[in-house]
Amino acid sequence: MSATISQAELRELVASWIAQGKRVAGPRLVAPAFRSAPQVKPACVFYAPLESSGELSLGGFIRPANSVKEFIFPKHEELYAYRITGQGIELSEVEPPAVEQVLIAARPCDAASLPILDHVFNWDYKDELYDRKRQLTTVVTLACTAHDDACFCTSVGLGPAAERGSDAMLLELGEGEYEVRCLTEKGKALFDGKLQASERVASVPAGPEKRFDAVEVGAFVKEHFDSPFWPAHTLACLGCGACAYTCPTCHCFDIVDEGNIERGVRARNWDSCQFTMFTLHASGHNPRPNQAARQRQRIDHKFHVYPEKFGEILCTGCGNCARNCPVGMGVLGVVTAL
Amino acid sequence: MSEHTVAPVSVAAVCDRRAEFEPKIVAFVCNWCTYLGADLAGTTRLEYPPNVRIIRLPCTGRIDFNLIIKAFEMGADSVLVSGCHPGDCHYTSGNYHARRRWILFRELLQALGFDLERIYFTWISAAEGHKWQQTVKEITEKTRKLGPYTGLYRSSAASVGATLVVAPEGGHEGRPYDASPAGVGATLVVAPEGGHKGRPYDGGGEAALRETCRRLLAEGSVKVVIGYGRRGPVFVTRPEDVEQLVWNNQCLANLTVYLKRKEIRALGRPAIVVKGCDERALVVLEKESQIDRKEMYVIGMACEGMGQAKCETCEAHLPRFADEVVGEAGKHPAETGERWKSLESLLALPAAGRMAYWAREFERCVKCYACRQVCPMCYCERCLVEKNRPTEIEPSATAKGNFAWHILRAFHLAGRCVGCDECTRACPAAIDLRLLNLSLAKAAEEHFAYRAGTDPKADLLIGAYSLQDKENFIR
Amino acid sequence: MLAADSYRFRLTRREQARAGKAAASRRTPKWTMHNIYEPDLMKVIETRPQTPDVKSVKVRFLDEARARDFSFRVGQFGIFSVFGYGESTFNICSSSNWKDYLEFCFRRVGCVTEALWSVEEGDVIGFRGPYGNAYPTEEWKGKNLIFLGGGIAMPPVRCAVWYALENRADYGNITIVYGARTVADLVYVDELDEWAKHPSVRVVRCVDPGGETPDWKGEIGFVPTVFERAGVPAENSVALVIGPPIMIKNTLPVLYRMGIQPSVVYTSLENRMKCGVGKCGRCNVGSFYVCKEGPILTMAQLERLPADY
Repeated sequence: MSATISQAELRELVASWIAQGKRVAGPRLVAPAFRSAPQVKPACVFYAPLESSGELSLGGFIRPANSVKEFIFPKHEELYAYRITGQGIELSEVEPPAVEQVLIAARPCDAASLPILDHVFNWDYKDELYDRKRQLTTVVTLACTAHDDACFCTSVGLGPAAERGSDAMLLELGEGEYEVRCLTEKGKALFDGKLQASERVASVPAGPEKRFDAVEVGAFVKEHFDSPFWPAHTLACLGCGACAYTCPTCHCFDIVDEGNIERGVRARNWDSCQFTMFTLHASGHNPRPNQAARQRQRIDHKFHVYPEKFGEILCTGCGNCARNCPVGMGVLGVVTAL
Repeated sequence: MSEHTVAPVSVAAVCDRRAEFEPKIVAFVCNWCTYLGADLAGTTRLEYPPNVRIIRLPCTGRIDFNLIIKAFEMGADSVLVSGCHPGDCHYTSGNYHARRRWILFRELLQALGFDLERIYFTWISAAEGHKWQQTVKEITEKTRKLGPYTGLYRSSAASVGATLVVAPEGGHEGRPYDASPAGVGATLVVAPEGGHKGRPYDGGGEAALRETCRRLLAEGSVKVVIGYGRRGPVFVTRPEDVEQLVWNNQCLANLTVYLKRKEIRALGRPAIVVKGCDERALVVLEKESQIDRKEMYVIGMACEGMGQAKCETCEAHLPRFADEVVGEAGKHPAETGERWKSLESLLALPAAGRMAYWAREFERCVKCYACRQVCPMCYCERCLVEKNRPTEIEPSATAKGNFAWHILRAFHLAGRCVGCDECTRACPAAIDLRLLNLSLAKAAEEHFAYRAGTDPKADLLIGAYSLQDKENFIR
Repeated sequence: MLAADSYRFRLTRREQARAGKAAASRRTPKWTMHNIYEPDLMKVIETRPQTPDVKSVKVRFLDEARARDFSFRVGQFGIFSVFGYGESTFNICSSSNWKDYLEFCFRRVGCVTEALWSVEEGDVIGFRGPYGNAYPTEEWKGKNLIFLGGGIAMPPVRCAVWYALENRADYGNITIVYGARTVADLVYVDELDEWAKHPSVRVVRCVDPGGETPDWKGEIGFVPTVFERAGVPAENSVALVIGPPIMIKNTLPVLYRMGIQPSVVYTSLENRMKCGVGKCGRCNVGSFYVCKEGPILTMAQLERLPADY
């Protein structure tokens, strides 16, 4: 016994969520507007807020080029505001999150990133900016039916229909039908009364072949910290933030004051350990002075430090790092070379 | 943007106030001429509207284009830029440099959709108090008619004239997944086992390339070969490793970017594999004294085209200044496209539509700086965006921060960008960055008959000026 | 007359506006979330130039209730901020026994510290903390304490010294060796004199060769050399060594030769920080988060860490 929904009904449901004032985000096709020739970058699918259910893309792509973390941990987030007058400083709260969110058609590798990130954002100090949004968000995952060469979810303990982090999961049955598995109360509440009972159960594909052993990677980086492997295999890295910013689990951030003489905000922005200035001291000393050290930090953080601290790998194998890397590296590139 | 940050004036507030709208005009003036001219207007009791705020700089040559953008961001409705007449610059040539920059900068602003009717350039001398008065009066009245500048960074869909395609009703399902490298979501698919999904060329360049590199490494004339590998750039230091090198239709990267990276330079004298389009970067880098051609061995590849937008309008099929050319020439498809076609489609939109387009594109920008890191011309050790004393370009990925960054990047590449389109390929948010670079390339060609990287003997565009530079937009 | 007075310039209206004054500073009421990044508003009660580019600042909580409830352990750090410029991390260099104010000491090197330099009495700045771990003052009880400080690294040592002096009975002999490049670079000079007045406290001050002035009465030499010369007894001792990397590198062999084990040689590790609460992913040395498990650690621990600092 299972529950199913047709695509048309699903879109109607999405439209109703939007109409209810929920913030709905999901894969959306962004096609180039001015192209006369084969694209430098073809049409891409991104997770984006949806203004209508027609904007939702449900197939024809492996996974969006970005991740869902931006809906819980935005690329720019105001922490609080300040006003400075000749008389004094006034601190005020910026509007706390209050709108319910639904992430529709997220990939399992995106959904799984949220419980992983929960650890660090609640490590001793509870980051309510993150927690509030997390509580207000329901994640509806769309299981994968295909993968490409950059996918490696199975190497980090996930798979095409992994349920971690999902409140509900959609699985394609073909012919415009989806099996719906409501995994939590939140998921049930979203789909309540909208599903049909059915005998059909979706078959889940095998997923990509396991490419490496994550535990071995963690051990390698711990034991071979000074190995010449790092300089040798990270030469191509140009030190941009494309991998970190499209990664579902990278969460490093910077805190800046922005404003003018009278008022402004203190905000946090995404940051990447691949930038030279990430660890640069005011004295000029840089603990990670070259790209090799910075690449090593990335692998270290994901496969050794985070598991040591929180028991989970800071990676869901989505492959965005490899796909978005201008030189084809990404975490996958370095780890498979190990 | 919250109400706590400095934001453009809201439309609602404006509609209420239209009757009493007082334009805010910021004037960047040079100290020696226009400032004194304005002063003269004052001392001779010439009346002019009080709407202008004067910012005094030593010379128009000092005016950073950022300042003009910042003025608008902070609420200016119009901006006036004014200095000494050509030939009279207190620093001899500052205004000539400025003039050249303005010619180019206007084209960039046009492509971005700024309202150029709100930016004025004039030459006003120290004796022309009257001209100052007239100019300010004129600008104030014009701006009053135009109204407040509410369109800055506005992304309202209503004003987008282009078919900014979002999925039609019914969504985007049904299109079969395209497993080729040029398919959805990936341009350089990682395929470590099976190798590049690239189609090898028939011209046989690959074998010849490997042989050349084997020879170079074996005889020790180079210490490292910077070339294309199966997955991405490789750095081959031993002759037996040349099998890592490939040459096929997926060799997209512009490898010249590695010539200035310290980790690569530490490896020793390089041989570098370039396509015709990449080679132009070498010309510019050498012109800017960043590389010494004698300190490297350039292996030029006869390219058969990579299926990119730039390939359709390519005229650099064969590197011209390489130490050695590998591969069969003449296999590159002839130019079929028109270089400016996509740019012209953008320019066909009304200004508000252009700005809405960019505002929507930049919403996706995450400030990863992949565009900067892949660009061979972006070799500053510390980028202006990383400066915080003071912060000139906001690092945040907000509308303001993103526009400021992309304007900075595009304009710092004016006359230097060789059109390798790496920035556009690298952008993980699929922003059509090449359009910005194209607008400046077009300006360079139309106004100055200049194309970066094609003539090693030509003077650099922005570093030089001509007494004949047109100034039909300067009153 | 401190040379630093010549660095005082008249604050323009902008600078006055920037810092804000205490009387009218407040936090709007009724925040709906507990925001761990929100700073406390602190009133500056004193700023003291220590060297031409180093100042110490004393601040007090604007909110009296908060001032009463607040406590920290010596060795912890705080994140101080100037609104409009940003945040910066400094050790709280006042003793944890002092309830009237917090003190920090900074060198003028960048955007935020430049803004801090212009802050005056009565201005309002932000403070978040206390973060990090503290000196293991319990473990140090009954031991002889050796404090070695270099240059601007003195303030984190200073708070430990005051703490030990205030709990004098708990500790044995106290030796302080403090040096800087030149006489002008020494901070808290007056306190060095005060410390020497306490029973069984020995203070040795030094400057690098070439850094002395004609009337310099202290030692001349690098801290490691001077320390070795000083012939401090080593039994039952723990050492706190904070200074530039080169100083630490050269001091350790001296300590080990004396028989003081790495497990009782402490230092304070500094790394670039932003959040201070282990979330921004910046300050880690391998799996050691300086803001959570540090900054205080022993040499034995440090040796086990990867060379990532």
